[in-house]
Amino acid sequence: MARPAPRCTRRDFLASASVVAGAALLSFPAPARAQRPKLVYWCYQFLKASDEARASFAQEWAKKNNVDLQMTMVPWKEFMPKITAAIEAKATPDIIESGGVELRARGQLLDVTDLYKKAEKTYGGWVGPSSKIMVEPDGRVHTLLYGLQGFMLIARDDLLAQAGLKPPPATWADLLVYAKKAQQLPRVFGLGQAISNQTDSQVWEDIMKSYGVRLADETGKRVILGDYKQQVWEFLDYFEAIWKASVLPPGVVTWDNTMNNSTYQAGKVVFVFNPVTISLWLEANNPELLAKTGHYIYPSGPKGRIQPLTYGSRSIMKYTKVPDVAKQFLWDSMEPGKMDREMTVAQWGPVLNAYLGFDVWKKKPFMKSLIDMSLRGEPQGYPDVFNDAWREQSTNCTASRMLQRLVVDNWSRDKAFAEMLDVMNKVYAKYV
Amino acid sequence: MAIRHRSVAVAIPAPRAAGRLSARTREALEGMGLLTPTVLILIGLVLYPFFYAIWLAFSDKAVGSPGQFVGTRNFEYVLGWPQFSAAIVNTAVFTVSAVALKFVLGMAVALVLNQRIRGRNFFRAFLLLPWVMPAFVVYLVWRWLYDPLSGLINYALMDLGLIASPIAFLSDRDTAMTSVIVAHAWRNFPFYAISFLAGMQTISQELYDSAQVDGASRVQQFRYITLPGLYHIIGVVLLLTTIQTANAFEPVYLLTGGGPSDATMVYTMLVYVMGMVNLRLGEAAAVSTLFLPLLVGLVLAVTMLLQRKARA
Repeated sequence: MARPAPRCTRRDFLASASVVAGAALLSFPAPARAQRPKLVYWCYQFLKASDEARASFAQEWAKKNNVDLQMTMVPWKEFMPKITAAIEAKATPDIIESGGVELRARGQLLDVTDLYKKAEKTYGGWVGPSSKIMVEPDGRVHTLLYGLQGFMLIARDDLLAQAGLKPPPATWADLLVYAKKAQQLPRVFGLGQAISNQTDSQVWEDIMKSYGVRLADETGKRVILGDYKQQVWEFLDYFEAIWKASVLPPGVVTWDNTMNNSTYQAGKVVFVFNPVTISLWLEANNPELLAKTGHYIYPSGPKGRIQPLTYGSRSIMKYTKVPDVAKQFLWDSMEPGKMDREMTVAQWGPVLNAYLGFDVWKKKPFMKSLIDMSLRGEPQGYPDVFNDAWREQSTNCTASRMLQRLVVDNWSRDKAFAEMLDVMNKVYAKYV
Repeated sequence: MAIRHRSVAVAIPAPRAAGRLSARTREALEGMGLLTPTVLILIGLVLYPFFYAIWLAFSDKAVGSPGQFVGTRNFEYVLGWPQFSAAIVNTAVFTVSAVALKFVLGMAVALVLNQRIRGRNFFRAFLLLPWVMPAFVVYLVWRWLYDPLSGLINYALMDLGLIASPIAFLSDRDTAMTSVIVAHAWRNFPFYAISFLAGMQTISQELYDSAQVDGASRVQQFRYITLPGLYHIIGVVLLLTTIQTANAFEPVYLLTGGGPSDATMVYTMLVYVMGMVNLRLGEAAAVSTLFLPLLVGLVLAVTMLLQRKARA
């Protein structure tokens, strides 16, 4: 007769499971656990090859330094919503690669002035005026740049040559002349530039500023746009000339931030404003078109050139439990040998003088333009102060909305300008 | 007749000790105990976020800052914001038009698929395709269809000689909202169709047979048999989808970003811009709170309309 199997009650099961789990935990070498700090790293996701290079370095670094690395790729467009939720949920990463300037203003970042000064001393100083965006009025630094990028004028040199034009156009007025002459309607339009509610449309603010316009005073607190009505009108003359010249492809008033890329890559425009990401894509997918493409800094306006730069940055959230490990990661990430490898596949211009000698600037002609841009470019928002108020009006695409009022809603200039002024005053008043 | 009384042993409950609960009270307490987890979940997942959002609307909460009570300042700010009035009108237009279009399309398709046609089961399954596809994919496809430079719709219209130059469907104030509504309706009408179809199959065939004998036309059969038979389903579907449509975000975000200018700026897009782009959570919450009466009003209007119809 078969013997009944011994009955295992729930209590028996729980007891034995606890014993096994406890034994397993105790058998794990305690010192090893204590020596393995955990580092949560939100890696900026934008350009695949560049992202992979940074991710690969981080993994190697974690292995070498016996760090338990938890890495998440965060698309740049999703970064602010995600970090917003993380801060609210008190579940922040240790290191982030976006939003340095924005989060610094909200007191969310750890002071890294020591690393800033060390890098300045070790690597021959920071490049260009735009790097100064790191230094706050009190001299402290909370975010370290690892690359500069900005919109440049990307042009079909072959079509310009066909039209008997020599690039680059020196002024914005020249750009319009070039665009009209070189375009081949209805197949190729002169200028692929958005006038929409997306941040790429902020190019219009840069152009407007090259006509001498300022939004706010030196302190970045009081709106003085109203004092520049005459300059705004000159800019609007230029804008309306562009609109009427039919150099813009249909649909630019709802373009998102990818449309200028895809339109240029499809060979449908003569000029676009974009970082060199377009060219990195062409390098891999359409070298013939890349060979016909020129890369230039912005043309000048009547009152000079405004060439603002954005940046890639690394920062440490102030809530980190491993500040020393995080700082070590930031420091090792700036090492020139590592950056040389990374910049070969990235869209960034150099931020430290030690990076100026990298081979990539010589090997790839289109990358050479990044040096010019990094040396001459100004911090984002220039000549205005980059602060929360400027950022909010910028993400709100205030200048582009004024232009849409003119060409979409057929408002008068006075009415559209009055609305822009009202929005500026409302936004800036919140931050006084 | 003498009645013989038999003694029966009966268990008489002992007098209730002070402090002991009656069976009824115990049962009530047990019931409450069983309900407690549900109530706690409701409080945690529904009531707390709801009241927290309302509190946010009265604070200057921004990302990373704790937020201070600011009274009605956020409400004054958003009421004076240029896109706010456009958002009210656009949300109402989008919701009413999209619900109406989905209703008509859904009803028409349900009527066709309720007939005995060849391949009926295939078409019923096929019908769900737009609804099961991720919204992201659907709206990017529609964006490409509408594209003035390489879109299929412009290509077809020009090829047929119906238009001389491409139409920027999403970029013209006159066509942008309609284009967004059409794309949204295409993705969501299958829910209406399937729900109505399910309802139609519960209506007895005898009613139609009798009506035919009495000489009722197809339209009369629809008017006096099908429609009254579907009132409850129509009510539920309209109620749910009115809320869903008013809160739709992806179509506008992916197709137009609220543009051109503010032609398609609906309230969800405004909340996104204020909260997630400008990082001003208090103002975003104020926009949501201000829209609450509009949404409640829409839902009440739909409910009352249908109840009146059902009673009639």
